[in-house]
Formats: sequence, C-alpha cells, structure tokens
Amino acid sequence: MTGAQQIVAGLEAARVSIAASVPDTWIGYLMETVRRSPGIRAVDVAREEEAVAVACGANLAGGRGAVLIQNAGLLNCGGVLAGLVELYRIPCFFIVSLRGDHRDPVYYHAPKGRVTEATLRAWRLPYARADRGSDLAPQVARGVEFCVEARGPFVLLISGEDLA
Amino acid sequence: MTTRKPLLDALISMLTAQDVLVSCLGANARYLPHMRVPCPTFALCDSMGAAVPLALGMALQRPDRHVVALEGDGSLLMSPNVLATVAAAAPPNLTTLLWVNGRYESSGGQALPAVAVDWGALARAAGIGHVAAARDVAGLREAFPRARAAGAPALIVVEIAFDPAESIPPYSERPDEIRARFRF
Repeated sequence: MTGAQQIVAGLEAARVSIAASVPDTWIGYLMETVRRSPGIRAVDVAREEEAVAVACGANLAGGRGAVLIQNAGLLNCGGVLAGLVELYRIPCFFIVSLRGDHRDPVYYHAPKGRVTEATLRAWRLPYARADRGSDLAPQVARGVEFCVEARGPFVLLISGEDLA
Repeated sequence: MTTRKPLLDALISMLTAQDVLVSCLGANARYLPHMRVPCPTFALCDSMGAAVPLALGMALQRPDRHVVALEGDGSLLMSPNVLATVAAAAPPNLTTLLWVNGRYESSGGQALPAVAVDWGALARAAGIGHVAAARDVAGLREAFPRARAAGAPALIVVEIAFDPAESIPPYSERPDEIRARFRF
C-alpha cells in the first residue's frame, strides 16, 4: 500500500465519516485517495477554519470528522481551535502537511516549517510526526481515537514523501 | 423593521423536535436558554463565523434532520466563503437565517464596515439554491416553511432593527453544559 492508502485505511478503521479539506499539493494528492473511500464523505471547503467547524459538526452529530489541511491553514485556525474545539471539548483530528522542513524542496514554505511545531506546542496541541518506517494506518486510527477519548484535538503531521 | 426578539420567538415556534438549531455568538445565543426550544440546540459564545460550517457538518452527518443555523451579518462578513462551501456541498437539510442589523451587537453595537451589503445577491452569486428575505414576523412565518421545504441549501436574510437599549440577557449556560445537553 502507498502511504496515502495507509492513511485512508486508518481513517476508515477509525470510522471517520467526514473529511473536510483545503488542498495543497500533498493534501490534494491524499484527498484523491480519500474520495475513493466508500465510507468517507469528502467536503471541500474554502478556508481551514471552516474545515474545523465542519468536522466538529460531524462529531457533534454522532459521526467522526477529520480535517486535512496544510500547515499554513493550521496557522489560520488558532481562533476556532480555542473558541470551538477547546472551549466545547469536541474531538477534532487533523492531518496537516508539514511544509517547509528539510524534506520539502520548495523554498517559500520554509518560514511555515520553522514555526509549525513551535506553534503547536504554544497552542498546547497534542501532535506527532507520521513515522513512515511503520504502517501509517494505526498511527492515524490512534490519533482519531485519542481525539474521541480526550475530547479534543490531535494533529498528525505528514510530509509529501509519506504519501508514496 | 422589527426588533430581534419577536422574530426569534416566531422562528422557535416553527421548529419541531426533528430540527437541530445552531446559533452564532451574541444576542440569539443569549436569548435561547430562556426560551422553550423544542429541538437540540448548540449555541456558540465565541468563534465568529463558525455557526454555518458547524451546522453544515451536522447536516451532512445527519441527513434525516433539518439543521437551522443562526448567523449574524458581522460573522458572515468575516467569512462569506462559507456560502460557496455550503452551495458546493448542497445539503438539502440546511437553512441559514442571517440576522442583519449592521452592528457587532455583542461587543457593544459597533458598526460594521460602512457599506450596505446585498446579502441576498451575495448568497445567490455564491450558489445558494434558495434565498429569501424577511423584514417582519409575517414575512418570516411565510419564508421559513418554504426554505425548509426547498430541497436545497436555503438562506433567509432577516433584517432587524438595532436597539441599543435592548435588554439582552447575559450568557447563562456554559459550553460544557451546552455540549453535554446536545444529543440527538
């Protein structure tokens, strides 16, 4: 299986029903696989804050929502994370493309790469980097279950090479 | 133009146990705990702009329920992109009431940017399938059943008078209480 297929298998295993997304190159590639899943509804949104709210709505209505966005979009989400996810303690699982670290060949992503993990720590967001050395499916499923159990967010950071 | 409360009373009287109500922050959210709302209700006290996409997630997850979102013009001006998102997802079970008074009422009544946004035209241009307007209780009583039966995402522009002397109750429910009670 490709990494993208493993990620989607993890979402399916965790019974994610709605995947709300704003694409970048990597997330867009991943969403092509998400869209082939019979159990997951892909919801294309225009801004990342919407994706968070859509996923929270799915969770509040008895389903399981996930947010698939770039780190630039995650950096947009401080307000909705504080005022919706954290304030109301709603499970919200994120898959975020970590643009701008040493694995990313595109120079203009570098400033985002420098601040992403520092921002996650400052915002007290639990997170992990995907480990392509092992199956990604259980890493994804554990992240979703953590959100449900902890009633809050979890962010799984992925790189483009994780999807191959 | 009518003030908010009679219109909110009229809306609540038209809801059933099969509906789901999502409210933006501010006056509507502050009134709702004091009203007999017949359906599950989720009221925001922060997070401007989240009411409609939150309702969208619920509507997509539960197509057997009709979800009604209350949003303010200040909040929608902050995130009008959600109109296109709703149009693209095309849930037939989502009706948004847009409360228009040109004010950031919950923060003291400051004016929105000084331009008369044509909200109906904006919604139609973004692809919202059913757009209507209501300026009084009679108009809302006519518009809401039609919107709910439209079979497409619906938006009703509700123009209300801003009354700086209106006695809006303070928030009386905490988020954990709202979250715990919201079950359907």
